[in-house]
Parts: sequence; structure tokens; C-alpha cells
Amino acid sequence: MSKPAMQLIGLKKTIGKKEIIKGLDFNIHPGEVFGFLGPNGAGKTTTIRMMVGLMKITEGDVIIQGKSIKTEYKEAIKQVGAIVENPEMYPFMSGKKNLQHFARMIPGITNERIEEVIKLVGLEKAINEKAGRYSLGMRQRLGIAQALLHRPSILILDEPTNGLDPSGIREIRHYIRNLAEQENVAVIVSSHLLSEIELMCDRIGIIKNGEIIAINSVHDTTQQTDLKEVHIEVDPVQEAKQHLESILEKEVKVDQSKVIISVLREEIPQVIKSLVGQNYQVYGVQVHRSTLEDKFLELIGENTIE
Amino acid sequence: MSNFIRLVQNEQVKLYVRVATWVMFGILAAIILLGAVIVRFLDDGSLTEYGDNWREEIQEENQKLTQEMEEMSSDSADGGFSVEMINGSTIERNNYYLENDIKPHTYDAWQFVYENAGLASIISLFTIIVAAGIIANEFKWGTIKLLLIRPVSRLKVMAAKYVSVLLFALTMLAFLLVFSWISGAIIFGVDGMNPSIVVDRGGEFIQLNVVKETIMDYSFSMVNLVMMATFAFMISSIFRSSGMAIGLAIFLMFAGNSVVGFVSQYDWAKFILFANTDLKQYTAGREPWIEGMTMGFSISMLLVYYVVFLAASWLAFTKRDVAGH
Repeated sequence: MSKPAMQLIGLKKTIGKKEIIKGLDFNIHPGEVFGFLGPNGAGKTTTIRMMVGLMKITEGDVIIQGKSIKTEYKEAIKQVGAIVENPEMYPFMSGKKNLQHFARMIPGITNERIEEVIKLVGLEKAINEKAGRYSLGMRQRLGIAQALLHRPSILILDEPTNGLDPSGIREIRHYIRNLAEQENVAVIVSSHLLSEIELMCDRIGIIKNGEIIAINSVHDTTQQTDLKEVHIEVDPVQEAKQHLESILEKEVKVDQSKVIISVLREEIPQVIKSLVGQNYQVYGVQVHRSTLEDKFLELIGENTIE
Repeated sequence: MSNFIRLVQNEQVKLYVRVATWVMFGILAAIILLGAVIVRFLDDGSLTEYGDNWREEIQEENQKLTQEMEEMSSDSADGGFSVEMINGSTIERNNYYLENDIKPHTYDAWQFVYENAGLASIISLFTIIVAAGIIANEFKWGTIKLLLIRPVSRLKVMAAKYVSVLLFALTMLAFLLVFSWISGAIIFGVDGMNPSIVVDRGGEFIQLNVVKETIMDYSFSMVNLVMMATFAFMISSIFRSSGMAIGLAIFLMFAGNSVVGFVSQYDWAKFILFANTDLKQYTAGREPWIEGMTMGFSISMLLVYYVVFLAASWLAFTKRDVAGH
């Protein structure tokens, strides 16, 4: 495994007497899209603020490409492009002036680079309009553009799909995958919506009440070999239930005209063959992937704010 | 260093791209023009041009004024009083011209610029507004987050903002000077390049070089301006609210002198900022606010306040977390 792009080491934040972040430890690798998932108020944005030095770290450290954000701030932050919370821009300046403004803060950004980034996020048409007139989706793109200006090796996006329409979301997903795969950028994406993160991330860390409660690889969970929930619409349903209980030797649930069974993928054809062989009328079969969603909700339970 | 200049450039761009800034320049220009028109058309005699035989002209004027005074004082007792004051002082001044053989200088662009030194308080007002917003607005817009995640220290970002405020004040001052001179030149003309005036300083008349006096007057008013702008900047940095910074700074600017007047019988009053911001109190013909105060004392007090203001701004800006709204 390559050297991590970003390391969180025992990261804690205490505000007043309350511990908001209770010791986070994880690494993010180059070329990886890491999903930072948790309900609202779980501490995602606080963690991101500490990653970029907007908030002081109470305990622990964030190491960016080998440099501590605490002691080598400038060297560390050079590697990072970020949107923290909403992509807020100067509303009275055009998109381009906004980009030029941020470009002036980092040495070595040419006008060509600015044009290149504008093209990358597809804002060519609106770039000379005032940012205050942008829709949330356009502001989101402009936010990504300013984060990419200096070719960071780590990109942090806080709720990047917020306010985007489905096609916008797909585009953003496409850029993010591209950046990770083509440019080897480590991308950290936070969200409270699992379905989005699942589609663009390689790994997901779930945070709840300031603690990481699980880190999962997305591909592990979707290609799992464990039991799947299968819904079969069948008639007569009660007899089918008994029949299935006898051959599977486990409990079968009934939901209206459907029987619900938990079986391995390989077992599904057998079950159907058996039902059809016994002259049951099968109207439909649905395999419910045991998705991250279930896992997420299972893990999260309720995010009680203490 | 070039890095810092680019930061200042950013601040200037953000300042001048907004209409509000241009409105400030517009208001200042309108006030200057209005002032010029009023002086021109409500001629109170100060615009009289004297010819080669100015000695006779002055004597004639004096006679006329004396006559007026006599008529007035016989008409009504209290109405005559103010006329007596004004005419009396004009006569005295005319006598000074005659005794010292100085040809009275015609009212011109230079004198107009000199008299506009009072408009520096308008510049103070605008500078306070700019200083109050320059940090607080970044928080209001949410852009502070994008500003502070760059490879630039917070101290540098803050310093660029502060320098930008001072630069704005200087620009406004230059505008006031140049625009006053040009509108003065158009409306009153220019009478030589080294004009002088005779002014009443504590009952005594003295002849002063207008250019030198103008520079002095404007410089003195800059002291107050810089202190109030720095104060507003500090409030902006600590409370992250421009409304509060504007309100407090403007209130103190106008109320400060009355506060000092109120408590001037106490010895500690001399440690109040506003007892020290007017360094003109130590110039010839003036009495300091509180007995025993000296120029050196005031400058030291101002420096102490200045350092405290900047240190507080720095602490608030660099040491605190940038949290949510």
C-alpha cells in the first residue's frame, strides 16, 4: 500500500467541556475516494475544519503528505484544496474574478491554469457573470474550481452534491473519479446521504457522535457473498411458505402476497425451480441487496446529540 | 514580499469592485462641489479681489464697516453685537494688512483646499466603515474559510487587510486634496503658487503659508482618522460584526470629545484616547485640553493605544477557531 496522503492520528476536539470529536484515527491514500459519512451533527464539518487548520486541534494531529497541519501549516495546506460547508464566493465579483482572487494567494498559478479549471468544471459560459447570480449548482462547480487551482494532491469536499440536480451529481461524480484515477488525487467527500457516497467512493468511514464507528470498503459490501434477502411473489402464499420452510430448514416470512427468504446467491435458482416444480404460481422475484444503507442505519441507529 | 503585495491587491480589488466604495467617493465629491458653490455665491466679502491700490480699497472697506456697525448698534442692542464681532475682526485684520504692508491674498484654490481640511472627518467616517467591514464581511459572506486555507499565515492576511484600510484612507485623502484644488481652481482661480493668509490665533494676527498650514492640518486630522480606523478594525476582528464596529467607532468618534469634556476635571481624564487624538491642541495659540498635558505625552498615549488595538486584532484574528455561523 502506498504512503498515505493524509493521516488522522488520535484527532480530538473539545469545545468548552464537551468533547466534539473523540479521537479519530484513519488514513487516506493517493488515488482513493474516501467517503466521510454521518448524520448531521456527527462531527464531519468539525473534522474537516481541523484537517484544513480552520479549527485548532485539541489533541492528536493531522499529517498531510508527511507534514503536520499544526507545525508545518504552510507546507501541509499547499497540498490541499477544499470546500468547507457551502461553496461561498464573493457574490459581487464574477466567477472569474473570484478564481483570480484565490489564485493570487498561491504562487505559480497561471492564467492558462485558471482557464483550464473553468473548462474542467464546465463553467465557461457563466464565468463572467457575478457569482451572486449563480445557482447553487454553479456555485458548487466554482467551489470545486477554486479548490483545484493549485493542483492539490488532496481534495476535500464537504457535501459536494448539495443542491445539485441529478445530472450535476453525475458530472461531479465523474470529475471526482477522474481526479482520483487519472491524477492520483486523494479525495475526501463528506455526506449524510449514503446513496451518493456509495456510488463515488472506494472506502467509507462512518462517523457518529464524534467517533468513527466503521470503515468499509464499498466493493466489499456490494459484492458480498453473505445472505441476500429475496422477495418472491407467489400464489398460494401460505403453502409456499410451508414448502420453503421445509426445504430451507429456516423461518420464512410472509408479507402480503410475498414470501421473504434469506439465502445465498447460489441458492436462488434452486428455490425458484422447486417452487415452479411444485406448481406454485410465481409472479416475480426480487433480490434485495443488503446494501450499505441497511448497514449504515444499523450502525448509526439514532444519532443522539448528547 | 511580492506575496504580500498580491494580498493587498486582492483587498483593493474587493474594495473597489463594490459600488458602495464609489458612492463614498461620489459623496465626498458632491460635498466639495457644494461647498465651493456656497462660498462662491453666498459671497460674504471674503472673495473681494484687491487691485494695485489695495491700501485705499482696504481703508474704504474699513470705513464702510465702521459705518455699518454704528448704524446697527443704534438700531438694536443685541443685533448689533454679532455685526460688531464680525466687522470688528475684519477691521482688525485689515489694519494688520496695512501695518505690515501685506497685500491681502485673494481667495483661491489653495485657500479652498485649506478650508476643506474639516472634511477629513468625512474621510474618517468612510474609513471606519471600510475598516469595520474588511474582516467582518469575510465572515458574513463565509469566504473567510476559503481565505484562510491557503499557504499564507493569518497574520499576513490580517496585515494585508489593515494596510488596505490605510491605503483606502490615503486614496480618499489624495482625492480630497486634488478634487478640492481642481474645483477650487475652476470656481475661484489660482492666485500664485505660494499663497499666504492672515489668521486670528488667540486674538493675535499672524501670517501663515497656506500650503504649509494645509499639510499640517491634514496631518493632524490623520491622527484621529488612523486611531478610529484601527479601533474599528479591532472591533471588526474581535466581534466579527461590521454593524457593531461601525456603530461603536462612529459613536466614540463623535462622543469622545464630549466624554473628555465631561471628566476633564479629573486627573485620569488625560489617559483617555480622545483627550490625546487632537495634537493640534499643542500648536501655537492653543491650550491643551487638560493642564499639564504635552505633545510627547499624547504621542506616547496614542502609541500605547495603537499597539493595544493592533495586538487585540491580531489575537482575535489568528488565535480563534473559524467555526460555523
